[in-house]
Amino acid sequence: MAVKHTKKLFIKALNKKFGKDFDLASQKTEYKRLGPEQNARKREFMEFAKKLEGKRGMTGYNPYVHAGGIPLGQRQLVPYKLSSTEYVVEGDDLHFVNNPAMQQMWDDIRRTIIVGLDMAHEVLQKRLGKEVTPETINNYLEILNHAMPGAAVVQEHMVETHPGLVDDCNVRVFTGDDALADEIDAQYLIDINKMFPAEQAEVLKAAIGKTSWQAVHIPTIVVRSCDGGTTSRWSAMQLSMTFIDAYNMCAGEAAVADLAYAAKHAAVLHMSDMLPARRARGPNNPGGLSFGYMADMVQTSRVKPQDPVYVSLNVVAAGAMLYDQIWLGSYMSGGVGFTQYATAAYTNDVLDDFCYYGVDYAVDKFGGFAKAPKTIDVAKELATEVTLYGIEQYEAFPTLLEDHFGGSQRAAVLAAASGITSSIASGHSQIGLAGWYLSMLLHKEAWGRLGFFGYDLQDQCGPTNVFSYQSDEGNPLELRGANYPNYAMNVGHQGEYAGITSAAHAGRMDAFAVSPLIKVTFANPGLVFDWANIRDCFGKGGAREFRAAGERSLVMPSV
Amino acid sequence: MAYTPQFYPGSTSVGINRRKHMSGNIEKLRDIPEADVVAIMGHRAPGADYASTHPPLKEMGEPDCPVRQLVAPTAGAAAGDRVRYSQWTDSMYFAPSIPYFRSYWGAINCRGCDPGTLSGRQIIEARERDIEKYTKQQYDSEMTDVALCSMRGCTVHGHSLRLEENGMQFDMLARTEMGKDGNVYAVKDQVGIPLDKKINLGKPMTEAEAKKRTTIFRFDGVPMGGKIGARKFDEAIEMTHHMWEYRSKWGYRPE
Repeated sequence: MAVKHTKKLFIKALNKKFGKDFDLASQKTEYKRLGPEQNARKREFMEFAKKLEGKRGMTGYNPYVHAGGIPLGQRQLVPYKLSSTEYVVEGDDLHFVNNPAMQQMWDDIRRTIIVGLDMAHEVLQKRLGKEVTPETINNYLEILNHAMPGAAVVQEHMVETHPGLVDDCNVRVFTGDDALADEIDAQYLIDINKMFPAEQAEVLKAAIGKTSWQAVHIPTIVVRSCDGGTTSRWSAMQLSMTFIDAYNMCAGEAAVADLAYAAKHAAVLHMSDMLPARRARGPNNPGGLSFGYMADMVQTSRVKPQDPVYVSLNVVAAGAMLYDQIWLGSYMSGGVGFTQYATAAYTNDVLDDFCYYGVDYAVDKFGGFAKAPKTIDVAKELATEVTLYGIEQYEAFPTLLEDHFGGSQRAAVLAAASGITSSIASGHSQIGLAGWYLSMLLHKEAWGRLGFFGYDLQDQCGPTNVFSYQSDEGNPLELRGANYPNYAMNVGHQGEYAGITSAAHAGRMDAFAVSPLIKVTFANPGLVFDWANIRDCFGKGGAREFRAAGERSLVMPSV
Repeated sequence: MAYTPQFYPGSTSVGINRRKHMSGNIEKLRDIPEADVVAIMGHRAPGADYASTHPPLKEMGEPDCPVRQLVAPTAGAAAGDRVRYSQWTDSMYFAPSIPYFRSYWGAINCRGCDPGTLSGRQIIEARERDIEKYTKQQYDSEMTDVALCSMRGCTVHGHSLRLEENGMQFDMLARTEMGKDGNVYAVKDQVGIPLDKKINLGKPMTEAEAKKRTTIFRFDGVPMGGKIGARKFDEAIEMTHHMWEYRSKWGYRPE
């Protein structure tokens, strides 16, 4: 059977990394051991550290304390190309501390809460006999977009937040009811018809029906000072105060409690679930974020639905950054190693190449996306082919192997390509997950190595949970998340699982994976991060072209 | 009929070599003096006493325990040695051994040891005099090529990198070097502390020799699945498919 994909997309990136005329296939090289001075970013770090020495009165960054005086850079310190973009940045630029776009992506999630409007309207209409009309809703939304950033309504002599510090805060509404949407002032509406392709819009509107929802994004600076658990509280307080103002209510009447209860509990959709005590995190923290929600937050599916690989890979990038770099790499652990693992999934067009190879193969064989039978044999054939293809690329291009120098990186990329291929081919995330685990076993058997210790449990025992119906271990992949048993420890997995989830739905051309509410909320044009172009936005952050919200410089002396 | 362990499937040189590593039926290629192995390990000075974490077992008055009666302690355990380690980094360019097969070798053939398997390194921990013995066995045998394999306690980076021009595996800390006489010399211990003297580890394998003895499947050696457009599955793939399918199905329907 002919194999269509022969592009070897990663070669362009390898040429940018190693030099245009470099022999990418040679198994030997001269290591020049030029140290950190070979790299612009390391030079910048060293120069800055020197400036800080006098100011701090103590030592700080000094790469020469590394390994008894042998600093980083004994091999070539190569840059990274953000996959499918023209951005080439240094590895350091992809640590979330150095990349404001990455920080903003996470901030945009944790500062978001979805609150139903219908329950509050019922309280107003049925309990208080108030009239609710499009005019009152528009008036309410005007007041709310004053109050939600931290401004006063109803009360006298209140402190307020500086509008310049909270300008990213906004609340827009959406509904499946076109008639109601037409009556809402356009500035306060997430217009499903405008933001989504027609077919997706119809599906979303049908799923949402006549209900109406508020996409609340509280100020970034608030969640950076507090945490994701704050979002529902901050939002509920300002929502309740706004109802009092907009509908001329008594500030102390019992009905306010109903509105507050709806805003805090009854009509609320958090972005992620609260974690058990041993992980000690409230809702809207990354550990409780399901793969299905992650897939829905990413908006690539509405701007490039014809390319399900591209859609899935943007989800992988978002997930790898959030789950690996921020959740496992910072909340659960710390330091720098996790970034190195995670970037393999969204840089240098490697995963792209492996996925396009697999999906072309599947389309040739089965006649299109989501056309393959949803069987274990399909996962077996596709995961085997993709894994063997990927292994051969690493072997044929030693610079590619060197680029993914850790086994965890290679395992994540090979298994993700296998899983995404199986998902897109079958339109079923569980078939994708089966492909993931087979890839892990084949990889280990081929090279006698896989990732670090944890892969023994998560990946070698993992096939047993793919189709399990037992309550503590079986779940559709869409509903699993970072805290699913066995998933809570290993870098290079969770973002890829989110990608495999997305791939099944992208292959089917679905409008959403799990939640139409999440999908529409993150289509809000008022979000700071670019949710349709994840990798591009990370590149902007790395290239220092991205301006994040939550800045404090307005109220501080200039540097 | 006595049971003969099969260890590993396949009739290729890779399958055969994997069986050799697992069974412990490995060829001795060199004889590095014990004192030199001890120096490279870096846990104690050659000739120094073993540090201990408890008195010899004979002096401890052990409880009456049927397991203790059945299992004779290793020499290191009997003496009360502390637990120490040796860790190897094996190049993906046809190093004879690879992490899982070092671990299988240890787990099957070495008493009282604790192997750990990663992608870029493989560690075995055991009582000190036991791990010294196991390390020497690995150093002396066909499991090890002195250019493509090296002992690295930390900063292990190198298994997946291109080789140096002289055929040595990259090592950021340059713990070994190629001598002008064609022999490989250890100049630093496992964690990169300079040795008092260079230790001659002998000549590396030729490329052909390494390819003959390797346990890694590679497309430019013995491929596991043929090549793109011309797939031919080794028995290792069939075995893996079988295990994966059964694990998946029995997870769905545990009986």
